[in-house]
Amino acid sequence: MPHLAPLTPSLSPQGKGRYRKAVAVACDLVTPYGWGVHACWQGLLSGQSAIRPLDRFSTRHFLTDKAATIPDLKAGPGESFVMNMLIPLLSKASDLGLIPDDSLLILATTTGEIDFLEQSVLRGTQGTAKESRLDCLLAKVVHWSGVVTRSKSRNMPLIVSAACVSSSAAIAQAASLIRNGEQDCLLVVACDSVSEFVMAGFSTLMALDKDMARPFDRDRKGLSLGEAAGFILLMSEERAMREERPIIGEIAGWGMTGDANHMTGPCRDGCGLALAVEKALQSASIPESAVGSISAHGTGTVYNDAMEMKAFKKAFQNRAIPTYSIKGGTGHTMGAAGLLEVIVAFQALKEKMIPPTVNMRCVDEEAKGWVFSQPHSLDGTVTVSTNSGFGGLNAALVLKEYRTEE
Amino acid sequence: MIDINGIGWITGKKYGCVVKALSRPFPQRKSIHAQLSGEGVFSYPVKNFGRFDRVSKMTCCALGLAIYDAGIIYAEGQKQDIGLLGTNEAGALSSNIAYFKDYVESGRTLARGNLFIYTLPSSPLAEAAIHFGCQGPVIYMGFQHRAIPSLLSYAKGMLLGEKVQKVLAVKADEEEALCFFLQEGGAEPPGKGFGFDTIEAIAGQASNIDQIIEGAQKAPLKIQKAPLKKKETR
Repeated sequence: MPHLAPLTPSLSPQGKGRYRKAVAVACDLVTPYGWGVHACWQGLLSGQSAIRPLDRFSTRHFLTDKAATIPDLKAGPGESFVMNMLIPLLSKASDLGLIPDDSLLILATTTGEIDFLEQSVLRGTQGTAKESRLDCLLAKVVHWSGVVTRSKSRNMPLIVSAACVSSSAAIAQAASLIRNGEQDCLLVVACDSVSEFVMAGFSTLMALDKDMARPFDRDRKGLSLGEAAGFILLMSEERAMREERPIIGEIAGWGMTGDANHMTGPCRDGCGLALAVEKALQSASIPESAVGSISAHGTGTVYNDAMEMKAFKKAFQNRAIPTYSIKGGTGHTMGAAGLLEVIVAFQALKEKMIPPTVNMRCVDEEAKGWVFSQPHSLDGTVTVSTNSGFGGLNAALVLKEYRTEE
Repeated sequence: MIDINGIGWITGKKYGCVVKALSRPFPQRKSIHAQLSGEGVFSYPVKNFGRFDRVSKMTCCALGLAIYDAGIIYAEGQKQDIGLLGTNEAGALSSNIAYFKDYVESGRTLARGNLFIYTLPSSPLAEAAIHFGCQGPVIYMGFQHRAIPSLLSYAKGMLLGEKVQKVLAVKADEEEALCFFLQEGGAEPPGKGFGFDTIEAIAGQASNIDQIIEGAQKAPLKIQKAPLKKKETR
């Protein structure tokens, strides 16, 4: 399909100017609950966690023996876990003709095909460790997605890696390119897998719960690792309507900040994340009073969840807003977390219901009135999705139920 | 209109700044950190610099040189609205190998946290953000080709799209690094610099960092005027 010239941007809701809306028109994912958005949604609603004892590698010396992995996911010689997640998703999308070949592809990940590096070090063949480079993974994802590489800088596929904020940052970047008229179709692909490499690191940092992560629980002790892969196709509203694409939702605003504080611990007063939320709302031209729900990062660590509650109370002036985390169910899927949470948030907006915060048994005092262990009705059409990561990185996205303007 | 008011660079055995026309050989008996601190490039010591992985050291030094070149003052504990965008050839490959090799050699029992934290491509940028107090977005981007022209293009986008006041765009590998300091034209502080288009054109034609530095050193500097202050009306 030829690349079309930018069309006139749509009128903003306030009628104050013109900006292009960035809308989601297709998505798919695989999570520890199984293949597809439906499996993930139903899994979360059930309140059952997908965090289980691991059999992929020995956990004898780690803080925990549990993580959330994709059922039956394997990787033979020359295969990586992330590609074995992505190939079926991208092949299916390709068969359905979902992905235009002029899409700009953005790949979000933290460690990609890290299993190749593990194998090469364990075998003592470190020369082959370079197969784990993210640019090698990008080339494979480009191939399987069917997008065509173009020669200009702003049309070439790229990797976005920003710790656990990676896929939120990628989605924000994609939406920004649509809003400013530089692109009208982007494919954001995200992936990360549970590996001995990562688990050993988080174990040594004492960041893992011995059992299962319990986001916002009074007695929470740490996170549980998870793995996931997926994609979301974003278009300008004009192109989506021209192609008669079903619109899943709108990426209405985004904000990213850095705490500039510490490599592994968040800024305790939540000011960095609160600023990201504020920037996102400004970007969306939406007042904080319009936000009806929050999809939190909610890892289950003492510091992250405490920081997030402080940030939310600051950003929303102590107005209690139904808030949830999915990481008690799916585990912390690292670079894929933001994408996963955006897709679930759109589903929640559609169903007018937020999922329970799985594994939360006794809500922390600071989260009372905000976070629930049962499904909760969702008012309004706007959700804020937040993520935070190593190095003090923060991202907030404003997601809206899509409505055509009258 | 976007200006590039500072360019810091480290290549082979030299380092320098373009706007200040600085070029020095690597110190023989001192560490680069000590050298740059002595020259006033670092306002205060970079905490744990000795423990940084190689790319983090290069990133921090290149950023310091670019900030110094742009005449930006920073201080410990002070935060600024500066975004960071970084790229390189190999991501965190060297750090990943170092970390996992150390873990395997210790019997796969205990990993080292101070090696693990550098196994993300964004970690060098985060370390620099902590030292320089940069509170804007911090993002690593990887490109298949034309890394520096792409970096500059996305840095410009970050400046305009994210509404940050300033952006530091750095390509830092183990042996060389180049950092650009971008801000909107007419912003404080005024000084010398280049138009974005000038440097973008140079980067587009160059095939390596040396050529970009050389091209920038030959390009005419523009003198930025201080923004006009509004007259008070009575």
